[in-house]
Amino acid sequence: MPTDSTILLGAVAYDPKVVAIWEGIRDYFNDAGAPFDFVLFSNYERQVKALLAGHVDIAWNTPLAHVRVQHHTKGGSLSLGMRDSDQDFHSRLIVRTDSGIAGPEDLAGKRLAVGSADSTQARILPLHFLKEAGADLTAVDLVRFDTDVGKHGDTGVSELHVLDALRNGDADAGTVGDLIWVMEQTAGHIDTSLLQSVWTSPPFDHCMFDALPDLDTGKIDRFTSALFAMTWDNPEHRRLLELEGLKQWMPPREEGYDSLRAAVADQGYAL
Amino acid sequence: MSSETTVAVAIDAGDLPMGGGLMALVRPALQLLEPGGVLAVNSCYDNLQDDLSVWCKVKQHEYLGNEPTPVAVEVTGAADKSNIPTQRTIRHLIRRSDLSVPKGKRETDMRLSASDGKLSAEAVLSAVPMPDSADPRSGFAPRGAQVEPGGPRYPFDLLDRDHVAPPEVAKLYDQAVESQWDGNRDIPWSKLPTHAPGLERAIGQVFTFLAENELSALYVPSRFVSRIHPAYAEVAMYLSTQMADEARHIDVFLKRARSGGAGLGVSSVTTSQSLLSLLEVADFTEAAFLLSVLGEGTFLDLLRFIEDHAPDDVTAEVVSRARNDEARHVHFGLVHVRHALAHDAGLYQRLENAVRRRAATMAGAGGVPEPLQDGLTILAAGSTSPRDVARGHDDFRQLLDEMHINRIKRLEHAGFTSEQATTLSELHTPNFM
Repeated sequence: MPTDSTILLGAVAYDPKVVAIWEGIRDYFNDAGAPFDFVLFSNYERQVKALLAGHVDIAWNTPLAHVRVQHHTKGGSLSLGMRDSDQDFHSRLIVRTDSGIAGPEDLAGKRLAVGSADSTQARILPLHFLKEAGADLTAVDLVRFDTDVGKHGDTGVSELHVLDALRNGDADAGTVGDLIWVMEQTAGHIDTSLLQSVWTSPPFDHCMFDALPDLDTGKIDRFTSALFAMTWDNPEHRRLLELEGLKQWMPPREEGYDSLRAAVADQGYAL
Repeated sequence: MSSETTVAVAIDAGDLPMGGGLMALVRPALQLLEPGGVLAVNSCYDNLQDDLSVWCKVKQHEYLGNEPTPVAVEVTGAADKSNIPTQRTIRHLIRRSDLSVPKGKRETDMRLSASDGKLSAEAVLSAVPMPDSADPRSGFAPRGAQVEPGGPRYPFDLLDRDHVAPPEVAKLYDQAVESQWDGNRDIPWSKLPTHAPGLERAIGQVFTFLAENELSALYVPSRFVSRIHPAYAEVAMYLSTQMADEARHIDVFLKRARSGGAGLGVSSVTTSQSLLSLLEVADFTEAAFLLSVLGEGTFLDLLRFIEDHAPDDVTAEVVSRARNDEARHVHFGLVHVRHALAHDAGLYQRLENAVRRRAATMAGAGGVPEPLQDGLTILAAGSTSPRDVARGHDDFRQLLDEMHINRIKRLEHAGFTSEQATTLSELHTPNFM
């Protein structure tokens, strides 16, 4: 673990904007009296290893990476904060209106497009919840879009592929996160006479700042104080918050990851 | 959610899905609410709550819930509206966030009315007055628009009405737009007679000088337009007309120089030095003072002199039209400086200092550029015969006296004392502009 007072954070470079986000946050933290720097990883597996090895103080993790850290620390890791937009995520079952699918129970014998193998919202949890809702997944023809594996669905690319597959008739139904579904609709990218949402999963939570149990308390205090002091109405903060897709940082909560823990256990996902 | 919740605005959303036009009703309706106000969306689209609640979360509005409602809603494409009430409708309630609330109040009852069939910029300015100062974070938002908070800071630094925008600016903009003319069509180019080569060379020289100076008059305002806060857009709009005027003058002056066989003359170092010292002025009011009050003011006398001595109608028409435009530029310069002087006691001294600084850079440059002296003398003479040239020389000397007297008048008109005006006029550049 870094020994000086500088907080070293790890983040995954899923998009060029990640550099702008963390350079901005670095400058803000340093100005706020919380010495800060960051390193970027190309995938979450490498980032989690670096955190567990003590090479970084804090990791900005997807839900799957968060669950992985908790697994390897036997539940002892520290959760420091999350975005407001990370809370109460849902997955959606989107169908072609000509598919005859009204819900999970109608999926048998149909082609179901799913996102990347490590996407919580477009693959792991929707399959988990669909099964719970009565879908016979053994009778479903999965159309997999394993793009950007390692990024845990952050890029959203596989979800857009799912929607494209539905538009093109390459699938009858598909699973995406509700954020993509709503944003694509409000942007005018969805022909609602062709595609519609017929099912919404139970809620689950998304990203989390993770740290090892022995992180210096001074670093924790400085990090959380500066983080929660960011406000939407401050133009400099707002620029960063908009880039990172939130309006307010929230205290951590754990119950939103219970379903993912169950899903990875059920699906035999290696942590 | 409680059915007791007070709904401020309700909309009929019919059976529109979120991706099918619904938001074009929801978003503007929310804009009508104060933060904390509640919008009711009456919809018969199934499962809208899942989409609306996610959208509310993203936008930080609060989705309060939904309940069946007896309200009839319009169904897309329903031919027989009498059947509509049979649709099952749901009332979704949304509480407006207090984030991203635009600053300022929405314009209400804004009904500009034409006068004699015209709607002037002056009338708009009267209905939507300029603020005393402007916020660079409002960017290019037009004055009167509501502005979302959190926008980037723009590099506008002319943010103070009294140093930027005289009250007459909109009226001058209206006049300028109405006075535009066409240098291609409105000059009787085909009527240009042939002059003796010596006279035509003099004309080519004079118009070369005019075009060079008008190029500077095009470039100087352009340096300030991008610095003017859009709250004072009429100033930028006015300056754009001034720049269009200068573009036209450059065009017709060069055409005239090239239409009589002589072509262009010489660009002198004195002119070049003088125009650079003008281009480098960084203060808007100082630049307006040097360019429009002193420079273009002096040009009015010069253009009048050329018109009076023009040997043909084409030459006279070109400078006459240009002079009308320049008179407007001088007027704007005067009202700009006078308005700024009235609100800034230290400005007199700064303007005097600006003239002195510029004079210092011109020290040793000599008098009126020699090619111009000669050109104006021959033009006034109308020929190169010694007798005519003697008269032309007298006329030229008289022009310099008139320029000095009229500069003093303009300076006094701008608010300077007689003594200050005389000093400043004497320090003015020998290049005229």
